[in-house]
Amino acid sequence: MTDIKNEKKIWTRRDVLKTGGGVAAAAATPMFFMKDAWAEEAIGNYPVKGPTVKFGFNVPQTGAYADEGSDQLRGFKLAVEHLNNGGGMLETLKPSSLKGNGVLGKKVEYVTGDTQTNPDAARTSARRMIDRDGVIMWSGGSSSATAIAQQYLAQEKGVIYMDALTHSNDTTGKDKRRYGFRYFFNAHMTGKALAPVISKAYGKDRRAFHLTADYTWGHTQFNSMRDFTEAEGWTTVQNIMTPLKSTDFSAFLTAVLNSDADVLVLNHYGKNMVNSLTQAVQFGMRELQKNGKTMEIVVPLYSRLMAQGAGIDNVEGVYGTTSWSWKQQDAGSQAFTKAFEAANGFPPSQAAHVGYCQALLYANACEMAGTFYPPAVIKALEDFKFSGTGTGDSFYRGEDHQAMRDILVVQGNSKAKSTGKYDLLNIHQTVKAADVTYPVNTFKGELGPYKPA
Amino acid sequence: MSKVNTDFYKKDIKPIAIFSIVLLTLPFWFEYIGGYKGLDTKIVIWIIFAIGFDLLLGYMGFLSFGHAAFFGTSAYATGLMLLHFSDNIIPAMLVGIASAIAMAFIIGFLTLKRTGIYFSILTLAFGEMLHSMVLSTLQNWTGGDNGLTGLQSPMLMGMKMDGELMYYFTVIIAIVAYYVARRIIRSPFGLMLVAIKSNQVRLEYTGVNVARYKLMGFVISAVYAGLAGSLMVVYEPYVASEFLSWHLSGHVVIMTVLGGVGTLVGPMVGVGFMLYFENVLSVYMGEQWMLVLGLIFMLTVIFLPGGFMQLFGKMKSIFTGGK
Amino acid sequence: MVNSIFLQFLTGMQLGAIYVMISLGLALIFGTLGVVNFAHGAMFMLAAYFGVIISESLGWGAAIFLVPAIMFAIGLAMERGLIRYFYTRPHTDQILVTFGLAIVVQELLKWQFGANNLPFATPDWGTGITRLHDYLPFLEGFVAYPKWRLIVTAVSLITVAALFALLQFTTFGLVVRAGMRDPEMLRLLGVNITQRFSIVFAIGVMIAGIAGVFGGPVTQVDPAIGMVFLVPSFLVVVIGGMGSLPGTVLASFIIGLAISFTATIPALANIIIYVIAIGILLFRPRGLMGQKGVME
Repeated sequence: MTDIKNEKKIWTRRDVLKTGGGVAAAAATPMFFMKDAWAEEAIGNYPVKGPTVKFGFNVPQTGAYADEGSDQLRGFKLAVEHLNNGGGMLETLKPSSLKGNGVLGKKVEYVTGDTQTNPDAARTSARRMIDRDGVIMWSGGSSSATAIAQQYLAQEKGVIYMDALTHSNDTTGKDKRRYGFRYFFNAHMTGKALAPVISKAYGKDRRAFHLTADYTWGHTQFNSMRDFTEAEGWTTVQNIMTPLKSTDFSAFLTAVLNSDADVLVLNHYGKNMVNSLTQAVQFGMRELQKNGKTMEIVVPLYSRLMAQGAGIDNVEGVYGTTSWSWKQQDAGSQAFTKAFEAANGFPPSQAAHVGYCQALLYANACEMAGTFYPPAVIKALEDFKFSGTGTGDSFYRGEDHQAMRDILVVQGNSKAKSTGKYDLLNIHQTVKAADVTYPVNTFKGELGPYKPA
Repeated sequence: MSKVNTDFYKKDIKPIAIFSIVLLTLPFWFEYIGGYKGLDTKIVIWIIFAIGFDLLLGYMGFLSFGHAAFFGTSAYATGLMLLHFSDNIIPAMLVGIASAIAMAFIIGFLTLKRTGIYFSILTLAFGEMLHSMVLSTLQNWTGGDNGLTGLQSPMLMGMKMDGELMYYFTVIIAIVAYYVARRIIRSPFGLMLVAIKSNQVRLEYTGVNVARYKLMGFVISAVYAGLAGSLMVVYEPYVASEFLSWHLSGHVVIMTVLGGVGTLVGPMVGVGFMLYFENVLSVYMGEQWMLVLGLIFMLTVIFLPGGFMQLFGKMKSIFTGGK
Repeated sequence: MVNSIFLQFLTGMQLGAIYVMISLGLALIFGTLGVVNFAHGAMFMLAAYFGVIISESLGWGAAIFLVPAIMFAIGLAMERGLIRYFYTRPHTDQILVTFGLAIVVQELLKWQFGANNLPFATPDWGTGITRLHDYLPFLEGFVAYPKWRLIVTAVSLITVAALFALLQFTTFGLVVRAGMRDPEMLRLLGVNITQRFSIVFAIGVMIAGIAGVFGGPVTQVDPAIGMVFLVPSFLVVVIGGMGSLPGTVLASFIIGLAISFTATIPALANIIIYVIAIGILLFRPRGLMGQKGVME
């Protein structure tokens, strides 16, 4: 037996652990009592510290959909301007809790990113905005692939993403996410609204050839258009999936010429559509007579920017659908259009409109919830009924985060009747929300939890 | 251990120790130079990729423009495992690396027969072919342009792999990878690689089965690429079709050459430099960062073929030898 | 039926037409100088941009003459200022420096003109539809084809013919062909190879320039097309046989036709060029018309 009286106390590892454990427990004790005070734990970049709050705008600045991206950014900037200073749709949105002095007393700042019309770049850029810049929410994008990728990121990180320009059924269908909200309409609505119009205009026994952009949006739009046109009596002759990066469609158009189809449906957007439509016209498709009828071209998803790119001669008389047009006369649309024209010198496109509205709708939801805490903001947006944003009586459906709202069937204007270089699309018909609403179970998919996973 | 052996190992200790210390402490000082959380893990993953690439380019002398093929194949395999099999990263990563090895055997067999230029073009072509296939031909499995989405959160032994845990996990793998690379270089096998680079034909005449060594070297560098690819999916549970694009292949080429080919350390510097440029300096420089980087790259190839390491060496000799 | 095959054939030819002009330049430069020019796609792209600018400011006639001339000058400058110093350096360095150049050119264009495409309108005399059924009696009914694409195809055939005439019937061409076979011998015979090399390089770039100004309206003009065309062009040269110009021409049109005839099966059409290249690699490594022993 050793004499332990004089032995110096050596810290063994066990001692360190025991002491450490005791200290930690002591330090943590107050937390246990205070825990209830912190009912809202930190999620994503919540809580927001300081006098400002940051929004992120991730738009395509390069790639097939880049034209829409710059306009979208202009819409976002205008939204920030109005949120901080009042004006624009703040006066027409009903019900609105926005005060025009920022959001929840904080001034809104923003950072931007480039999605490059490419889901990986979009995700990387969004992640940078979340990690490096600390945004509380972000929005933007013109392609469904980027939207879907970003929705998944939003759910993982606990930062809300307000979808911008995305039309694929999957975004609020099989890829729906709790942390994503889509205000733009989808391919199903397009099919439902457009098919009756074109079958009335062109007849019920048409044979359609589809050229489709080979990614989620193209696929779902083809499916919806095919389903609804076949319900009207049309036959679908063939569908070719064209690579998103294609610029030369001659090989595909040759195949169209060689078939017995008498309608060409271009499930293309952005530059794809500008090129395919222009080249289709160059191949003489609008003069062609097939099966005793004149060949027709349909562009289910339209935008004024695309029409500008293709040129009025090429789009004249071509039918399609859009989300919104600057020519709309309702108070909300006019407020936005006038403010946009004053800031930029030309009218806004649907890309700018959706960006602007989404920023406002998010800010409004924060004001309604009284906090930036994501689950509360999400609950405020779910089942929110609103109007005054240019889409009639609209409603954010809680079960899939898809907005039910009016959409427009448009037709290319003619040079003779056009009043200027922005007057390219005529509103043929406004299709009310009730007529394009569809049951929730039309598409599979689950929203996921309120807390990030 | 004999004295000779300990000296031999000592050569490795210092660089590996420095490497380890720098990486292990990175999260603490990274923010002071403008870095942010998440970027650090990305840098380490690319370092692993670049080390393997340098083995092929710097030591064996073969310039592959299609290394994204292995990065991407492994990424997709790992992603598919996470999606359909389980969220445990170990089997996912093992399958990922195995698939990269398989792909390397196939591509290597077809491309290594040719000389340097032919080889470079062919690797580029294979990379692009896989890229195209993933977008169209195989899109039902790969998600096409969307990429692989909806992956479960990757887990290791019940712990979610993100944040600090993911970073340190990656660093440990990187340290092991670096150590292995150093051992390879100084082994007889490594000597063979260098011999291949200096004169393949002469080596063949001495009776060595050059084809086998070339293939092994190629596959080893693909293992590093595959490891990086699967780690990338664990870090960011999403597989993009871009992982197979020539952009990615081009990036690792630029990083390796900028840093200093054939030095193992050089490419690491190159990785840090390029990612720093892309993510931090781009805020100040705007969209022109790639232009500036391209110019720096060209100037490096023309005037400073040894990359940054050559620059450091010159500076060192100015300060120490120029008295 | 006849219509259908004819149209697909025509589309294949016009697709091949652009490839042929780019690939020929590559093959020429590689065959004579042994230089792998990764910036060749960027040269095509640069020419397309010049085409847009000049055709809008000075008119199309000016563009058709000026753009190839400008590209010739650029080719000379590139060879004298950069490439020349890399003849003695390892091949990998050549690839790296031209790759770097390609990136720099791409980024400069992106910076200057933005990342979106520039609309490149065809001239009035080239715009519109050619009613083929008016000229070709074996076609049934209404068969139209864009006029400009027919023009592009014709231009490429003329360019190919001109190049071959140059190589076959002039002294300069003789020297170049000899240089392709055995540069050492030429030097020993006292022929000034260096100056000729500059001109050959410049011709290669100039042909890519012709491709750019005529092909621009068809392929679209944006900073990405350089690299988009680089890989297929290299593969065409590989398939044709590196160092064989007739092989390159043949391969270009074969690829164009393959893409055209498989267009209805996109899963195949997108990879057909790679499939053919790999097939050639496995069963005939010297390419369709390459010399045995070269590059094996």
